[in-house]
Amino acid sequence: MSNLKDRLEEFKKTFESGGPPYNVPPDKIATMHRATAELKASGIEGHALKIGDRAPDFVLFNQDHVEVSSKDLLRKAPVVVSFFRGHW
Amino acid sequence: MELEALKEIDSQVQELGARIVVLTPELERYTRALHNKLNLPFDILTDLHLQIAEQFGLVFTFPDYLRDLYKSWGSILDRFHDESEYRLPMPARYIIDSNNVIRAADVNADYTIRPEPSETLKLLREIARSERRTS
Repeated sequence: MSNLKDRLEEFKKTFESGGPPYNVPPDKIATMHRATAELKASGIEGHALKIGDRAPDFVLFNQDHVEVSSKDLLRKAPVVVSFFRGHW
Repeated sequence: MELEALKEIDSQVQELGARIVVLTPELERYTRALHNKLNLPFDILTDLHLQIAEQFGLVFTFPDYLRDLYKSWGSILDRFHDESEYRLPMPARYIIDSNNVIRAADVNADYTIRPEPSETLKLLREIARSERRTS
């Protein structure tokens, strides 16, 4: 099984080639690159919580509408919390 | 892709007594569909209106030109998130210990770069080991 980085790079290569199945024109690729570069340059990464900070507590609904609290999860600590932008 | 990669390490994570959770701004009807489709062994939690992502300092707003581009592709992020603004979390992966302290943090403004799950597993092993020593 290849690692995640290789899989992502493979996808990126296909996507940015402008060919099928995505057929994205180069100017739109450039727009996306511009947005990423601007976000990076804004310094936003430096404002995110980092090692040594206290993690915020949360109580959120899962996919089955069951409440999940960080306190309960942390009883089985440690916990990996991954932020995901969406299925699209 | 990232969720599938996390799925591959889930059993090893659970062996350590640890857990994975995924937070997303998407509404439950979308998390439910995704969870079923990928048959995930961990929960996807709806972080409605990005309240928790805000506290982690991860939220950014799409500039107008990017929002327009996504809309021209038929994007309906506003419907996925129940809000009109195009706001998203930066991709990030944290490891939190039983004292609620962040022990590993990987945040990237470039959404095409994600931390390697094998690396997360390695860090998790070290943290789990140090917790066992002190408890």
